[in-house]
Amino acid sequence: MEKALMAFAAALCVCGGCVTGIMEGKVAVQAVESIGKNPDAADKIQSMAIIGAAISETCAIYCLLVAFLIIFVLGA
Amino acid sequence: MEIQSAVYSIIIVTLFMALLLVYINRKLVKFDPLSRPTGIVLLVIMYAQMIDNMVRSKTNEKVAKYLTPYIMTVAAYIFLANISGLFSLEPPTSNYSVTLALGAITCILIEVFSFICRGPKGYLKSWFEPFAPFVVMNLMSKFSTLLSLSLRLFGNIISGSILMTVIYSMLGNISKSIPFIGEFNIVGVAVAPVLHFYFDLFSGVMQAFIFITLTVSFIGKELPEEK
Repeated sequence: MEKALMAFAAALCVCGGCVTGIMEGKVAVQAVESIGKNPDAADKIQSMAIIGAAISETCAIYCLLVAFLIIFVLGA
Repeated sequence: MEIQSAVYSIIIVTLFMALLLVYINRKLVKFDPLSRPTGIVLLVIMYAQMIDNMVRSKTNEKVAKYLTPYIMTVAAYIFLANISGLFSLEPPTSNYSVTLALGAITCILIEVFSFICRGPKGYLKSWFEPFAPFVVMNLMSKFSTLLSLSLRLFGNIISGSILMTVIYSMLGNISKSIPFIGEFNIVGVAVAPVLHFYFDLFSGVMQAFIFITLTVSFIGKELPEEK
């Protein structure tokens, strides 16, 4: 029973990643749109988009980390 | 004290990188600057130019002179460490100590360059900006830089390697249902290369690139504005 609850909690944790996925897609969409409007600034937009995506990805990584902690530290 | 299994792969990757650098150094010393570069020399020259352009566009000349060699080394090391999963080693970056060390180097470099460019007085003042009680927030932001840089690399690589382990055991179970040759993981051989391409090669290159981009732009952000 306890193990099942832990697995459920870990799965719930990873759900935090889905919002990150949508928003990271939004970053890519905006970057593509602005490169389409202004192709000369492609280099700057690219690096900014990558930084933005990487920073917003941190949230999903923390979710994953908490899930790992639940599985491997609490569950072991 | 128990030795973690990642220690061996750290030693192997470091040794391989040292040998590679010695080999490239030999090639570069022999290389005639007037002739056309080919092979590994061309690759190294293109790599150096790419990193140099990137660092120069985000920082100033004085910083770029000292920062470029470090960025080149750390990018090559993270890339080699990330793709070492392809050679059935445990990736060194899937050990938190390694990524914490890399993040700590970046954080110390940010402080050092900030100190050099602002001077002692300006550096002390930057801790209390925009006004004095913000020292707590500044301290927290420095700490969170370290945490997010190291955890991003660690989380990405370890999620890739854990997913590969899970997928291999799943495919092994599936291929056991095939008669006669099922003991050999035959479905895994067919399916795994695509996943290895994504989780090891693509993710490895992307994470190395993201790490150096973030390092350079964090350092560039700390520098005072110049005309």
